[in-house]
Parts: sequence; C-alpha cells; structure tokens
Amino acid sequence: MSSILEVRKLSKYFGGLAAVNQVDLDVVDSEILGLIGPNGAGKTTLFNLISGFFPSTSGKVIFCGRDITNLKAHNTAQLGISRTFQASTLFMKLSALANVFTGCHLGYRTGIWKRVLRMPPALEEENMLKHKAMELLEFMGLASLRDEMAGNLTHGQQRVLGVCVALAANPKLLLLDEPVTGMNPSETLTMVGLIRQIRDDRDITIMLVEHDMKVVMNLCDRIVVLNYGQNIAEGPPAEIRKNKEVIEAYLGKEGAK
Amino acid sequence: MEKPRRTYRFKRIDTHNRKSIGIIVLVVILLLVPAVVHSPYYIHLLIMVGINAALAMTFIFLLRVGLINLSIAAFWGIGAYASAMLTMRLNLPFWLALPAATIITGIVALIVGLLLCRNSGFGFIIPTLAFASVVVLVFGTFDVFGGYVGIVNIPHPEPIVIPLLPLIEFTSKTPYYYLMLFLVAVVVTAFSAFYSASTGRAWRAIGLSSSLAESLGINLFRYRLTAFIIASAVCGLMGSFYAHYYSALVPITFTPFPKTIYCHIFAILGGIAFPFAGPAVGAFILTLTPEFLRIVGEIEPILTGLLVIVLVLFAPGGILGLLSSRQQVAHPSESIDRIGKWIKASLPTSRTDRENRK
Repeated sequence: MSSILEVRKLSKYFGGLAAVNQVDLDVVDSEILGLIGPNGAGKTTLFNLISGFFPSTSGKVIFCGRDITNLKAHNTAQLGISRTFQASTLFMKLSALANVFTGCHLGYRTGIWKRVLRMPPALEEENMLKHKAMELLEFMGLASLRDEMAGNLTHGQQRVLGVCVALAANPKLLLLDEPVTGMNPSETLTMVGLIRQIRDDRDITIMLVEHDMKVVMNLCDRIVVLNYGQNIAEGPPAEIRKNKEVIEAYLGKEGAK
Repeated sequence: MEKPRRTYRFKRIDTHNRKSIGIIVLVVILLLVPAVVHSPYYIHLLIMVGINAALAMTFIFLLRVGLINLSIAAFWGIGAYASAMLTMRLNLPFWLALPAATIITGIVALIVGLLLCRNSGFGFIIPTLAFASVVVLVFGTFDVFGGYVGIVNIPHPEPIVIPLLPLIEFTSKTPYYYLMLFLVAVVVTAFSAFYSASTGRAWRAIGLSSSLAESLGINLFRYRLTAFIIASAVCGLMGSFYAHYYSALVPITFTPFPKTIYCHIFAILGGIAFPFAGPAVGAFILTLTPEFLRIVGEIEPILTGLLVIVLVLFAPGGILGLLSSRQQVAHPSESIDRIGKWIKASLPTSRTDRENRK
C-alpha cells in the first residue's frame, strides 16, 4: 500500500494561534479517510493547506511523490487534488450542467487560439467535455436537473452538485469538507452511497471532514482525529470509537470517566 | 481522450436564427444612417455613441471577471496620446498608428496589470483610480504631451482605397462614422469570440466565485491579467480613433471622474447582463439626452443625473433588463451590489480629489 498524500510536520499559525500544529498523516491509495475533531480543531485549515488555499508556516506536503508544499490552489488542482467547500460554493447563477462544464476547465488540450477562433477540433473537444459533464451529472443522479439554475436547487442537491463539479476536474484525491452537513437522513444515505461509488468506480482516493459520526464510522476505512491542531489518534473506526483520548477530546476529561 | 459513452443533445444557446437576422437588420440600418441623417452634428453624436459604447463594453468585460476598472478613460487617453505622438513626432501614417497605439496601450496594461491583477475588490479598484489620476497628471505635466493645453492639429487619417469603392477621404464626418462602425464591430466580434470560448467561461467562473474557480485549476492571476490587457487595449484602440477624429486632445478629457464613471453608467443603464446591446443602448441614450437637454441650459447635468437615478431605481437590470427576461439567467447581481458598495465607498475619495484640485 502506497501513500498518495503524505503530510509531514505541517503547521499553520494565525498570529500566535496554532490552527494546525505539527500534523503528520498519510492518505493511502484508494482509501476513504475521515478527518474528525471538535470545532476549531483545524480540520478545514488542514484542507486549505493541502489544496493550496493558504501557505503553510512550516512542514511539508507530498502528493504522489511530489513536494506540493505552498503550491497555489490552481496548481494543486492541476496535479489532481479537488476539493469541495463547507458552504455550498457553486456558480449559483449558472445551470447545473454549466457548473460541471465550467469545472472541466482542466480538460482542454487544444491551443487557446484554436478555442477562441472556434476551430473544428476545439468545438469537438468542447462537445466532448460537455458530454463528460453530462455523464458526471448522470453518475451523481442529477441528470434531470441539468438546466436548473444551481441557486434554485435544494441544499442537498447543491452539495451533490458541489461534489460533481469537483469531480469534473479529474482528481486523484478528493477532499470533501462536510459533505452531508445539513442533509436529511435520506439525502445523507444517497450521499454516502455516492461517495463510496466515487471511490469504487472511479478509483479516487477520498479524504473527508465530517461531524456526523454515524456517517464517518460507516464510510471511512481509517479515521484521523485532530484536536487543537494536533493529530491525537489514527486508526480504523472500531479503534477510534474506543480511544480514550478521542472521547476526552469530544466530551472533556470528566465525561470520559 | 476518452470517448463519451452516450450522446446527449444540448440546446444551442449561442446561435439563434432570430438573433442573427436581428443582427443583420441592425447592421443594415446602421450602414444606412448617413443616407438619412445629413446633419454633421448628429453624425458626430453617433460617432461619440460608438466610442462610448465600446468603452462601456470593456467595463462589462472586466466586470464579468469580478474586476471594476476605474482606469477606462486613462487607457483611452493612453491610446489617444500614443497615436498622436506616433503620427506627429514619428510621422507614421494613421493606419499604422492605430494598431501600434492599441499594442502600446496593451503593453502599458500588462505592466500595470502585473502589479494590480493579484488583487480583486478594492485592492484592484483603488489602484486603478490612482493609476488613472497619475496618467492625467503625466499628460498635463510633461511638455512632450503638450501640457494641460493639450495637442492640436492631429493629422486626419490618410485617404484609403477599397476595391469597388471610390477613394475614401476623411474630410467629412461620414467616413469617420463608417470607420467607427468597423472598429466597434471588430471589438464586438473579438469580445464575443472570447466570451463563447473556454476563456469566457473561466472569466465568468472567476467573477461568480473566485475560490471555486481556483479550486478547479483556473489561474486567477493569469486570467485576470489577460482580461485586463484585452479590455485596456480596446480602450487604446478607441482612443487612437478618437485622437484622429477629434484632432485635438486635452488631458482633462481622460480623468476618471466623470469619464470612466459615465462609461460605467452607460453599461448599467443599458443593462449589465447584455455585454454588447447594454452599453450601446446606454451610451445612445446618455450621449444624446444631454445634447437635447442643452436647451434648458445650466441645469442639464441635474436632469441627466435625475434620469439616471430614476432608471436605476425602477429598472435595476437596466433598460434592456426591463424588456427581457434574460437578466434572470445571466444577471450578475453581485456585481451591482459591488457597484453600490463601491459608489458609497468612493464618495469621500471623489470629494478629497476635488479639494486637492482646488
């Protein structure tokens, strides 16, 4: 088993506050890794560091054997890291299809002038990418909503569309920030099924932050627990459930007794 | 490239037959205008409408990338001065100076953009204002540019020969009118080519949500810079045309207040969701009304201002927004919010600006 992503002693300070402090973790090829921890533990910050939205203070991130520390977000996306956002971040004024089609930005291979001058190979490529976008929508069960404006979709549909847009960038590693938050039980069930399918059918490694313990315990192969920016436990769900430090972090020292 | 497994049918949004017929009719009407309108004064106004419309189109062009540009008039001026310098000092013909001035403006935009395009929001807006003010100062201060008195006697374009047509000499307003139409057509064609290609989608993505765009692999800086260069080069192109048409340049013409603000208003008034028709309609109305209102004399700016306020209050999607339902789909209302916020924020700036000038 090889690691697709290695995080080594990664730290991020906001002024004097250590949001992420000397975190070490490995994401193994084709696994679903859960990242949990109390509010403010630094989970989203860690996502932002890996995907290049913030520069780190110290430490290293290695993706597929390449040092990607402090690369910009568009560079990490090029290398194959896609992410979703905590709030439903979509192009709200565009249709669902246009959202995914815009997400295919990295799929263009023809030269820029060929595209601007609408030459046949560029048009063919555009059509191919549009088909790819449509296939993705179908895969995620949103095909019937393709012409609906993203802003008019329900919260659950928007979250699914968010994952769909992230998939359009052809990722090897998908970072999902709270994919099922705010969903009703049936939507949650659909989403869990979809996440599993993304891994099984498309062989995409998934790392997710989630507060819904049932989902995390069910879905993840391995779980990493963060508290105060530090990695306090790591292992399969069954182990994490019994880990004393984790229970302490969530319930406090008194609650753990 | 992986082959799609299934074939889907997509609505062709870009090309409507009705739309292309409409465009042809419009072009024919525009071409026939000089046959009907004989007054050189009205032809002059229409030429100014064309220039203003093209400048307002560059405003929408950058607005779609999420950038509000306050240096439209400045780049217009750079193109005008560059062209005047090239023809008067280097004796270049107009037909060479026109593309050269466009390229020079583009190069200036590249240098300025390298500094400015890393930011968006106020980090972009305020520096463009600063740059615009500096440009006017430079034109006014240095004798090479004729100082605040300006430059006069800029040569008219050389006569040109087009096969099957008589020799075209730029002695009356009419040839300028056709040249204006040609230049605006070039701008519209270029912009629509960019809009419908992947570049246009990337720009729109940045304008709608820059962080999502970035996470999809779109290089924000590079795309913003490209858009800034293209928009500014178009301003320079119109500037070069203006210099040789008007034959005289004064630095005050190129101040951000009111020229750039007027360019913004043209676009907003016409309808911001319409990248070409919006600026054209807005520029048409606002270039002609002040002239007709001139009868009322001194209070003309008040009436024009009132007209704008009424229209913006009751038709926030612009005049075309009232007539069409399209604004529901492509209406970048965040941009309008941003303009509202910006107008509020810019009030103190403009006041101190005025005080400084006293």
